[in-house]
Amino acid sequence: MLSQIIGQTKEHPALIPFFLFIGAGGTGAAMYVLHLALFNPDISWDRKNNPEFWNKLGPNDQYKFYLVNVDYSKLKKGGPDF
Amino acid sequence: MAYPFQLGLQDATSPIMEELLHFHDHALMIVFLISSLVLYIISLMLTTKLTHTSTMDAQEVETVWTILPAIILILIALPSLRILYMMDEINNPSLTVKTMGHQWYWSYEYTDYEDLNFDSYMIPTQELKPGELRLLEVDNRVVLPMEMTIRMLISSEDVLHSWAVPSLGLKTDAIPGRLNQTTLMAMRPGLYYGQCSEICGSNHSFMPIVLEMVPLSYFETWSALMV
Repeated sequence: MLSQIIGQTKEHPALIPFFLFIGAGGTGAAMYVLHLALFNPDISWDRKNNPEFWNKLGPNDQYKFYLVNVDYSKLKKGGPDF
Repeated sequence: MAYPFQLGLQDATSPIMEELLHFHDHALMIVFLISSLVLYIISLMLTTKLTHTSTMDAQEVETVWTILPAIILILIALPSLRILYMMDEINNPSLTVKTMGHQWYWSYEYTDYEDLNFDSYMIPTQELKPGELRLLEVDNRVVLPMEMTIRMLISSEDVLHSWAVPSLGLKTDAIPGRLNQTTLMAMRPGLYYGQCSEICGSNHSFMPIVLEMVPLSYFETWSALMV
């Protein structure tokens, strides 16, 4: 398929930016799905060694993809330490 | 609240709504630029005596109209996603208020410190006092302290409703059997109006929401009186 793409771009160079953007978009989508598969706390790949994965959540871990203002590693607990 | 002949969004009362307002300005500017460009090109096309009947190839213009829209879309997507993630942040609310949608009124529960419950029905048009807003006023307003982050838990006792206050950029569906959460933070005191935003039967248009944002001491006095 790559040879087809290169062949087409030789004939019509205007296709270069098109393939670049589509390629970047597709790669981005695939990478986001991979990120979800690897880092989402709702997923366990190995049921035997990781049976209760929902119990491994920490208060200072970041589970969101992108943070604007909050820094989870710096959050302090609101109540007293026992 | 909305006013006659209003063209844009209501003035922002919360920081998120301010962000949304600026984003709306940004996206609308892009829309206006593209629309006026297209309209201009159409007018040029319709008023020219020049013709070219054998166009086979147009590599340069195709390159431009691939790259430019892609850049414009990225310029719209990045601020949009930033605001989306910002709306979802941890913010340590100091108060929790529950609201349940019914056919056709809202009920509010302030159960953090005392057991305060009340219903909020629309004031019928016949019973409005002079100066009051038609289809927007309610008998019991939702009094809340201003400049404090408040957690709103929203659900419904019967059918789908939606709790919306445009001035704060809030709209959350009230779904029976489900608890939805949103955070509310008003930067200034005042009355903020909203209406039910999910079709729920014959009086869907007649179950408004009125937030009365007041200083904390007034809120404490009010809640002591209402219990």
